Amino acid sequence: MVNGNNNDNVALVDVLDKVIEKGVVINGDIVIRVANIDLVYLGLRLILTSVSKLEEVSGKRMIGKEQEATPEDMAYLQKLQREIRKAEENIPKIIDASDPKKTEQGMAQLVLTLLELIRKLMEKEAYRRVKKGTLSSIEIQKLGLSLKAVQKKIKEVQAIFGIDDEDLNIDLGPLGNLM
Amino acid sequence: MDGLYLYCVRDKAEGDNIFPVKGIDGHGDVFTLSFCEFEAVVSAVSLQEFESEAIKIKAQEDLNWIKEKAVIHERVIEQAMTKGNRNLGLIPMGFGAIFKEEASLMETLDKKHEEIKQVLDNVRGKQEWGVKVYLNDKKFFEKNIKAKSDVIREKEREMALLPEGMAFFMEEELKEMIDKEKNNELNNITGFFFEVLKKYAIDSVKNKLLEKELTGISKPMVLNAAYLIPDEKKEEFTDEAERLKLEIKAEGFGLEYSGPWPAYNFTKF
Repeated sequence: MVNGNNNDNVALVDVLDKVIEKGVVINGDIVIRVANIDLVYLGLRLILTSVSKLEEVSGKRMIGKEQEATPEDMAYLQKLQREIRKAEENIPKIIDASDPKKTEQGMAQLVLTLLELIRKLMEKEAYRRVKKGTLSSIEIQKLGLSLKAVQKKIKEVQAIFGIDDEDLNIDLGPLGNLM
Repeated sequence: MDGLYLYCVRDKAEGDNIFPVKGIDGHGDVFTLSFCEFEAVVSAVSLQEFESEAIKIKAQEDLNWIKEKAVIHERVIEQAMTKGNRNLGLIPMGFGAIFKEEASLMETLDKKHEEIKQVLDNVRGKQEWGVKVYLNDKKFFEKNIKAKSDVIREKEREMALLPEGMAFFMEEELKEMIDKEKNNELNNITGFFFEVLKKYAIDSVKNKLLEKELTGISKPMVLNAAYLIPDEKKEEFTDEAERLKLEIKAEGFGLEYSGPWPAYNFTKF
């Protein structure tokens, strides 16, 4: 295989892209179902389906108390337990006591992301009013300056914690990005 | 009991068929089974193992497992693409088709014989090449757009004259304008890249762009193309790709090409 680049990861991505999504689908007696899964969101999608399934399962419980758990229910419960265990393993990696700096940055990122969301919503609303033409120019001037001040303040805190603009977002998996 | 994992279907190759790579389970030998003028490349897998709940769970949840298996799958097919110096016509299968016994595999292939023949005739003597383009320098690209657009420069002049608070609201408008121009320009320019390389191809396809999470590259992908190139045009194609790569580097784009791949994108049936 000739690569017009030196990045091994690129080759692996190519392999996944092709083997999982593009190869001829010929059904055998057993087909391992990985095709048609959006690889990127594999993990998050699973958590979301587990949560919605959990609601279903618990709802069912309330209606028919004497109902036994089906094998399907049990499989989902097991899946949930696995997700919980996985999360338990990951949490110490995120909130690393030996690296408080990183934890601090993670928290700052989360808080700033929410601030940025609120700021954007405020700005949109303000912009709508400006366009409607109901504000005097001095009001527009005030509003604009206030919003700009908030924007600059967020940038300043970003600089302190070393957080890029692109980090101010939350990946919601199948729902896309927050902003 | 053993079943058969199917990797690909190819032109029958003369002589012994020893594959230097192991099968999908990491230890099974890879071998061929003939049917009509073609042969299937397979390896034995334990049905007990591959029918198990554990495998199903891994295939659904364990990205590392999927990666590892996809790489083995691809490696076997790469081995199967050539025999001696001869390039064989080959149809790569998607991941994960297992047959309980040889008879059911043969029955399936016999049923599909006509389609297989047609697809093989179509890809024989050709190779697939992949081209991915990333936008490496967004700032530079945006600056160029600003410099090129009269409307944007006009807007900036207008803003400079307004009080700061009022100008703030125009900044948003300006950002939207730049975004729109940027998307237009990106479409044009990647369309141009796609066409430049297409001239050596018999067939070509633009695939959906891959997310950063999957590429592991922090820059956004702006083009994900695949080309079906006749063997004799391969040099011309790679020369052109290399030339284009150097040319667009200065404009803030990173181009990566790879091949020859099995014709994953051009063997649908």
